[in-house]
Amino acid sequence: MSHLHIPDGVLPLWLWAPGLAVALIVLGLAARALRDAPRQRVAYQGALGALVLAAMAIELPLGPVDYHLSLVGPVGVLLGAAAGFEVVFVASTILAFVGHGGFTVIGLNALVLGAGAALSRPLYLALRPRLDPARAMALATACAQAVSGGLWLAVVAVALKLQPAHGTWPVSGRVALLGGIALPLFALGVAVESGVAFGLARFLARVRPDLLPGPRPVAAPGAEDAA
Amino acid sequence: MINTLSRIDYLASAGRTPWHRASALSKLVLAAALIALAVFAPRLTLLAVVFLAAAALALTGGMPWRLVLIAAGYPALFSGLFIASAWDGSWQSPARILLRPLGASLTAVWLVGTTPYPDLFAPLSRVLPRAIGDALFLTYRALFELMTRAERLWRSVGLRGGTSVPARQRLTLAGEGLATLVLYGFERGQRQYATMLLRGHSGRICGCRHYAEWSRADALVAAALAAVVTGAALLWGRA
Repeated sequence: MSHLHIPDGVLPLWLWAPGLAVALIVLGLAARALRDAPRQRVAYQGALGALVLAAMAIELPLGPVDYHLSLVGPVGVLLGAAAGFEVVFVASTILAFVGHGGFTVIGLNALVLGAGAALSRPLYLALRPRLDPARAMALATACAQAVSGGLWLAVVAVALKLQPAHGTWPVSGRVALLGGIALPLFALGVAVESGVAFGLARFLARVRPDLLPGPRPVAAPGAEDAA
Repeated sequence: MINTLSRIDYLASAGRTPWHRASALSKLVLAAALIALAVFAPRLTLLAVVFLAAAALALTGGMPWRLVLIAAGYPALFSGLFIASAWDGSWQSPARILLRPLGASLTAVWLVGTTPYPDLFAPLSRVLPRAIGDALFLTYRALFELMTRAERLWRSVGLRGGTSVPARQRLTLAGEGLATLVLYGFERGQRQYATMLLRGHSGRICGCRHYAEWSRADALVAAALAAVVTGAALLWGRA
């Protein structure tokens, strides 16, 4: 629940236009930061972007609700802030073409998801000396998801607060309803994303540790002999 | 979502309507005009005209009406909270909030349903930074393959009892499954880049040959654009 599914024409101009402008500036800065990166990286970014879209489309059954992943934390850890932002911008653009969030919301979507992605790698690297890759990834993802989810909630709350109502449904009631619906989803999002990130990093640390940033995990004693 | 997208993607390439024969650039201009009107139009009458124009485009684009309904209905669903919060007892306020996203989403459906993705992304890649333009092509190209793999993976996890374990284990399993897709994506990226180099990749992916090739069908797009602009000029300030 960190991708804004808000369609075109619902948010006020002063909210989405600066969002789009800031996202385009950040996109330019990200492209500049990555200008010396190997060109091969673009193909990997494309594949991860496609994986983000695939993950968003799949329903993860969790009792009474189905959850759609955003993978914002793992993408940020695996690619870093600049490339992660590029990936979420592209994913948001493709989603807008299929009606999942309007064209005017692409900027806000990229910023909401990109903020989480930008945060996750520094957090992962800070946690890594004390924790194994799976736990570091899970914690970094929990924080990233909390930031993205919090920003998502803030944008929707602002948008609802600004809707002109004529006394039929007061602002406080609308925001309370949003809180009642969104806060449990927010908590669920943080738990689910970090649980999935834990499994993802545990597998990568065993099979391809070079894809994870930071120090390589130390092999368990006797692991080489067993291999 | 992916079923809808894959059907629209197929129809974009396989369709035989005049809209499919028109250039991507002219359709992008018409779509941009309609979406701008859907977002900014101050009057309900104008919004209704934009909605009708977008619906006419989508229904004449050779797409099954059910597919149009699904693609356009999704944004309508998400407008619900905003409609409820802005309701003042009249029908005009909900209609205004509902018609804006419906007009925009029907236009988007028409655009993506009549334009193959290389032609659609080519003009965008001209204005975006090079890496983003390339990533648009590569992401979309990888999407259906990864989606099929993800669906297969989920099915096999379910068949082997992966969905009947406690929720915490289920999440870890899902993460491990997704990690196999990350690995596949990494290897696929390396293979794809090697193939691109072999094919003479010059540093920019460019679907640039077709998007601005004009045909007689563009006259139809120009006529639609003229009608939309005229209608907007006449109805903009009228109560």
